[in-house]
Amino acid sequence: MAVRGARMLFGASVAGAYALVLAPVLAVVVISVFSQEIVSFPPEGFTLRWYANAWDKREFARGFVTSMQVALVATAIGVPLGTAAAYALTRARLPGKAALNTLLLGPLAVPGVVAGTALYLFYVRAEFWVDDDIKGTTLGLVAAHVLLTIPWTVRLVSAALAGLDRSAEEAAANLGARPLTVFRRVTLPMLRPGVVAAGLFSFIQSFENLELTLLLVGPGRITLPVAMLNYLEFRVDPTLAAVATVQIVLVGALMLITDRFVSLARVV
Amino acid sequence: MGTLQLAGLSRRYGANTVVDGVSLDVAEGELVALLGPSGCGKTTTLRMVAGFVEPSAGTVRIAGRDVTRAPPHGRDTGMVFQSYALFPHMTVAGNVAFGLEMRGIGRAEREARVLEALRLVRLDGLGERLPRQLSGGQQQRVALARALVVNPAVFLLDEPLSNLDAKLRAEVRVEIRNLQQRLGLTTLFVTHDQEEALTMADRLVVMERGRVRQVGTAEELYERPADLFVANFIGRVNALAGEVAGPGEFRVADGTALPCPRDAAPGMRATLCLRPEKLRFQPWASAGVPAVLARTVYLGGQTEYHFTLAGAPVMALRETPPAGDRLRGLQPGDRVTLDWLGEDARLLPEVAR
Amino acid sequence: MAALILPAGLLVLLLLVAPMAMLFRISLNEYSPTQLMLEALQPGNYLRALADPYYQAVMGTTMSVALSCTAICLVIGFPAAWWLARMDSKRKSLAVILTVFPLLVGNVVRSAGWMALLGRDGAINAALRGLGVVSEPLQLLYTEGAVIVGIVAVVAPYMILTLSAVIEGIPRNLEEAAANLGAGPLVAFRRVVLPLAVPGVVAGSVLVFILCMNAYATPVLLGGPQFKMMAPAVYDQFVRGTNWPFGAALAFLLLVVTLALTVLGSAVVGRRYRR
Ligand SMILES: Nc1ncnc2c1ncn2[C@@H]1O[C@H](COP(=O)(O)OP(=O)(O)OP(=O)(O)O)[C@@H](O)[C@H]1O
Ligand SMILES: [Mg+2]
Repeated sequence: MAVRGARMLFGASVAGAYALVLAPVLAVVVISVFSQEIVSFPPEGFTLRWYANAWDKREFARGFVTSMQVALVATAIGVPLGTAAAYALTRARLPGKAALNTLLLGPLAVPGVVAGTALYLFYVRAEFWVDDDIKGTTLGLVAAHVLLTIPWTVRLVSAALAGLDRSAEEAAANLGARPLTVFRRVTLPMLRPGVVAAGLFSFIQSFENLELTLLLVGPGRITLPVAMLNYLEFRVDPTLAAVATVQIVLVGALMLITDRFVSLARVV
Repeated sequence: MGTLQLAGLSRRYGANTVVDGVSLDVAEGELVALLGPSGCGKTTTLRMVAGFVEPSAGTVRIAGRDVTRAPPHGRDTGMVFQSYALFPHMTVAGNVAFGLEMRGIGRAEREARVLEALRLVRLDGLGERLPRQLSGGQQQRVALARALVVNPAVFLLDEPLSNLDAKLRAEVRVEIRNLQQRLGLTTLFVTHDQEEALTMADRLVVMERGRVRQVGTAEELYERPADLFVANFIGRVNALAGEVAGPGEFRVADGTALPCPRDAAPGMRATLCLRPEKLRFQPWASAGVPAVLARTVYLGGQTEYHFTLAGAPVMALRETPPAGDRLRGLQPGDRVTLDWLGEDARLLPEVAR
Repeated sequence: MAALILPAGLLVLLLLVAPMAMLFRISLNEYSPTQLMLEALQPGNYLRALADPYYQAVMGTTMSVALSCTAICLVIGFPAAWWLARMDSKRKSLAVILTVFPLLVGNVVRSAGWMALLGRDGAINAALRGLGVVSEPLQLLYTEGAVIVGIVAVVAPYMILTLSAVIEGIPRNLEEAAANLGAGPLVAFRRVVLPLAVPGVVAGSVLVFILCMNAYATPVLLGGPQFKMMAPAVYDQFVRGTNWPFGAALAFLLLVVTLALTVLGSAVVGRRYRR
């Protein structure tokens, strides 16, 4: 009986955890079809008109595009650099390895608001030097977001490298492969789940980031989370819910497609 | 301590039946070896006994009690895992004490029994080490002590020797057998090494593709295999397809007559099986079964002689003849005469390939 | 091979270390309402922040919320992580997507979801009134509880994923060995899985704690105007005010407190479970 009790407790806590994580997402989808302007339960009726309304609010579409651009570029830069660094960190004999590791993981340990503030002041100063805009430009945003992608990549790829069986690489070398060939033909394919995970998390970190980004956006260069926060202003509104629902569907589809190509089960 | 009874035990994964109606009684204090080629369902059977895999059909009884649906921790089996599964964060003594703790045994008795168990496996003084500070053989013995110390009703071993080198394996084999007999443990032992099974087990169970092919003592399986699979699996065998022509006479396809048991029914199509050590031979003489020497394999004390008999390969195993013996002069291509006692051959009803 | 570290290392130096150094330097400057900043080397901004009861309270709230959220995440995240780690691979993809996908939705959207659930006319109050449990709507939104629930929901996936990666590395047959020796599921968990999962507990807690100390959208949206945590307070200094040196000092204090608690916490857990 104790077993039955433990099992039920276990099932309930798993369900509870996932309910907590998914409830707000579900709530947003539900209220996006409520007919009244001020969200209240129970709904007075249902409508799809907020989706049309959302379409008219161009700042969201633009925000989505900006977020996508920034996240993709930051991921494309951060993942290769982070992977190379993680490889050297785990394999090379280097003095001060621990310090280098701390440096590369550093952005994870610094709260985003602090890093964002520091970057803001840094950009202000740098704009003075180069006599050009950095704040509120795509370049400025991408640079900041690369800072998010590097530590996640180093963390995930290092973990993958640590779990790698060296004997496969040794076998390749034994069969006559040069170091670079070993890396390309054996190491990298074996690391693929780790690198894909790094790409996924880098993208997530950048795409949903608010704290680091808040001070760095500018007119016309606003990311989707910041645009939503600005719009939200203490009131939930079905238009925002409609935008969010579209985002949820897009993101969900993206993940299902990704899963077709690389099984996400092996990634995380 | 108790008996173990499996009745119609089966396990399916989807459409795949990996254990198919296994029935087996293990008597108190008996060591039974589960033997069979890789993937035949040995581990799955053992794990159903331990309660890690739920049977699709059939029952498991331990000491007369039906435990088919009991959770693993309520079964009182002691299992030695192939990879040992030692708790890496506990000392050797901590590992061995774990099962006693779970049975609510007080500290003083626990410590005494742990010491005793470690002495039994000859690891005295290593109690405070961590598993990773031990050699493979030592880890193996910790796993053994951990399972033994609780005095389980049934002792389960899944290829516990496969990670050891040949010499150590032979040693530990004897150790396990001694311990098992001294403590009178009812034991189910999985292996795919026939030598291991032959030397250790009271009885052997030969499995193939989820089914039991034959159960018996080493002697029974070797001398009287039920089918060609068992004959091939336990030891080596010469198999010749043909037909019983008359009392004590077996004919292969090209008409060559071979000795076979006298009680075989004439007209029966069968495979004649003959163990290599029963096959005698001499340089060509007029009487007997004609064959040609293909090659010899020198093994030190013994030598294998491979012949071609009516197009089929057969092999004889005998002590290496002393220097100067006329058999020493045989060359590949030489004609020889083969001979064996009809009663040493065994006729199996199926026809070999 | 060392050259492979160079690009990433230089980027981090340029985009994190240099700005942080600059932030620190500015935090030692003096504020002037007319000239914004006067070059100086004085600890005045720190002393003011530390002495100000308002910021003491904000820092206190931030720490207590972050610690509660981390603890709750650990408790609810562990079973979920185990479930995820021990799942067969066919269904696992879906479960992983279910875990990761809320992260991509972002915490502004999820805060909006909580507002719809917790508000006076929200789903929970409507349900409670419909069932006749309460007659007047409960004040759920704009409370510390709402903020904690909101933050937990945002960061829990990180905890689940970190823990589950570590649990996956614990051979399953250790749990079987424990069961075989007579341990029930709870005992096997406490004696075998938990001690071996300590590295994951530390890594997950550190990650989640830092995210909680840093929370911006959730306290702003679910805590209401009266509720203040450090991240919004720092941000306000730069957007609403112009006192950069003081804002920089606040930011630095947030960093120092976060790192100090992180190091302290890891050391305590590490010592308890030292092998
Ligand atoms: N969880 C599972 N799902 C599907 N098939 C399984 C599962 N476990 C085992 N099998 C299949 O069952 C068959 C028997 O497996 P089992 O591990 O019992 O073999 P075995 O006799 O112990 O082999 P070996 O000597 O190689 O250890 C194998 O074909 C295996 O692929
Ligand atoms: Mg097996």
